[in-house]
Amino acid sequence: MSHSVLVCDDAIFMRTMISDILSQAGFEVVGEAETGREAVEKYRQLKPDLVTMDIVMPDMGGIEAVREICKSDPDAKILMCSAMGQQALVVEAIQAGAKDFVVKPFQPSRVLEAVQRVIG
Amino acid sequence: MDLSRYAALFLTESREHLNAASQQLLEWERDPKATEPVVSIFRAMHTFKGMAAAMGYANLTELAHRTENLLDVLRSAPSGASPQMHDLIFRILDALESGASEAMAGGDAGLDFTGLLGELDSAAAVAQPTGSWAIPEQPREVAVPATEGRTVRVVIRHGAVMRGARALLALRRAEALGPVGLVKPAPSAFEQEEFDGRFSFRLGSTATDESIHAAITSAGEVESVEVGVEAQVAAPGERGEVAERRRQIRVDLQRLDALMNQVGELVVAKGRLAELVVGSSPELQAVSTRIGRVVAEMQSEIIQARMTPVWQVFDRFPRAVRDLSRQLGKRVSFEVEGEEIELDRAVLDEIGEPLIHLLRNAVDHGIEPPAERERKNKPAEGRILLGASRERTSVCIRVVDDGMGIDREKVLQKAIREGLVEPGTEALSDDVLLRVLARPGFTTAAVVTDVSGRGMGMDAVVSRVRGLGGSIQVESSAEGGTTFTLRLPMTLAIVRALLTRVGSERYALPLASIAETVEFNPMMVASVQGREGLVIRDRVVPTVHLRERLGVSGPAHQGRRPSVVVEVGGRRAAVVVDALVGQQEIVVESFDGPRGMLPVFSGATILGDGMPVLILDPAALV
Repeated sequence: MSHSVLVCDDAIFMRTMISDILSQAGFEVVGEAETGREAVEKYRQLKPDLVTMDIVMPDMGGIEAVREICKSDPDAKILMCSAMGQQALVVEAIQAGAKDFVVKPFQPSRVLEAVQRVIG
Repeated sequence: MDLSRYAALFLTESREHLNAASQQLLEWERDPKATEPVVSIFRAMHTFKGMAAAMGYANLTELAHRTENLLDVLRSAPSGASPQMHDLIFRILDALESGASEAMAGGDAGLDFTGLLGELDSAAAVAQPTGSWAIPEQPREVAVPATEGRTVRVVIRHGAVMRGARALLALRRAEALGPVGLVKPAPSAFEQEEFDGRFSFRLGSTATDESIHAAITSAGEVESVEVGVEAQVAAPGERGEVAERRRQIRVDLQRLDALMNQVGELVVAKGRLAELVVGSSPELQAVSTRIGRVVAEMQSEIIQARMTPVWQVFDRFPRAVRDLSRQLGKRVSFEVEGEEIELDRAVLDEIGEPLIHLLRNAVDHGIEPPAERERKNKPAEGRILLGASRERTSVCIRVVDDGMGIDREKVLQKAIREGLVEPGTEALSDDVLLRVLARPGFTTAAVVTDVSGRGMGMDAVVSRVRGLGGSIQVESSAEGGTTFTLRLPMTLAIVRALLTRVGSERYALPLASIAETVEFNPMMVASVQGREGLVIRDRVVPTVHLRERLGVSGPAHQGRRPSVVVEVGGRRAAVVVDALVGQQEIVVESFDGPRGMLPVFSGATILGDGMPVLILDPAALV
């Protein structure tokens, strides 16, 4: 059975790119979220095996969303998607419960490696 | 990855985001105090940057990135944006939109945003900061490190991105195996872009070396994992047995304080006892000596128990410096050295605020905006160093910046206007500079820029440090940056001091800053640059007649009398007194002297005979 993924990013461009990378590798993208709040809600509904989470999003940022999701499910497998130079924010996200991270611009191989580590 | 598939998507979506940003910008112009528009534009810029980077459009990415930085500053102070800034952001949005079309046609490399980038730099330089510098509350507990378990050393692969975040992930994996302690460097270093990927920690776990290795490696990008036992070598014949385990408990700091105070009292009583038993029976003297020895041991044990590595306070500074430099639109690389150096917890608690003040000054008034630095042929990124090191019985903490230095001319003019130095003085020495800066209300802020000083002033910094029995020095040269050097006693509660007498009063001088005592012989006096100096082994040491300095009335001694040579930061002075009384351990009570009090005292103490004695501040004498 393929793993289910929830892709969270405020840009369709980024969501499309991540979805493409993951579906080509055999993952099933079961949902997308444009805001942190939506990510939290969709996580509750869909219970995906994996979440990719942008850090900067409107209406609740990615870090806050990680915190919310991990409150109800500490084992949530969340992969942060960060821009260069955001190390402090990534550190904060990991402290909030994120399990790994990738840095934009994405290289498909890097994304898949990180996903493998998270799904483990 | 075939990017052409995403090109159309990039174009339409970036237009959407840029248009939305324009709308928000109009909103912002109408209501400059609103925060929501700034946050939205910031986000749009961030998203645009991510997409442009994914498409490999370096120039568009750079412009969006720098705009994002400016917005990040403005986001905490939206009304700090001038109409010119709004206008600049409008033009940037236009440039990004047309740039996006050009880049799609293959022309990103030909895009030239030099003009806009320059304007962004100047805008960042004037963007005003807000926000407070509250120091996060530290748990008032002495964390006793776990010496149990094994030391694990990890190296993150050199080419890995965000090695700090990766290191934290590795640490997380280790935590799944057992308690983790003594992380070096302190985890806050993981937020620094410069983190070199090497760290170690103690892991209390029964897992095999192999499984620890495997767990940590699974965090990804791990180059090596070394699991070892600390150099606690088991005694011969005991091989295979667990080395003796030290047990640790956590103790409330107040308990330790109370204990320290009692030991302080004991030290004073011991001193008094030693005086009283002189000439009495040998048995009594022997008991007194024995008590003296035990008290000394107790004292050193309790001081050891209170020693705390400075990183416990330093740890919160990188974030503070980062936040402030961002607010001010400056680029600062902040380094910390010697964070393992230990200080008495009580000293450490007291220096957090003064250090924050000095660091804030360094960012605010020292480091220039990037554009100005580039004009001066300095690296755009300023450098601030916070370093701790051991010096005999004291700890030296330096705050060094490579900024513009203190404008002595302005300070001098103001000092002359306020009558702090003689009119006609042509240059300020580093000493006088500090004295002027340390005048209450005479902040560097008021002098160097019009930004009003916040929090504690330089005067409070100086008196806090002196109150701890420490000293502070400043070195600054135009364009050479500024260095503040703090020398602090490792422990403040009890110090050895030399008691001296002038007139009928006794004064204590901390032994740590005494180089020697020599006889002051009027025949051996030389005059150098109009100042009296004492010739000591072919060197002329400036003299300070304590009687005159303190304004003690009564007939002055003539002829030979003792002098105490004090040395602070390489400078000496021969302090001439009426008599030397003897060495003694004293319990330092710091105090805030009343206004107008001579700035030569760092505290007071009560001697065994119940008489109060003032403690002289050697730094104020040299």
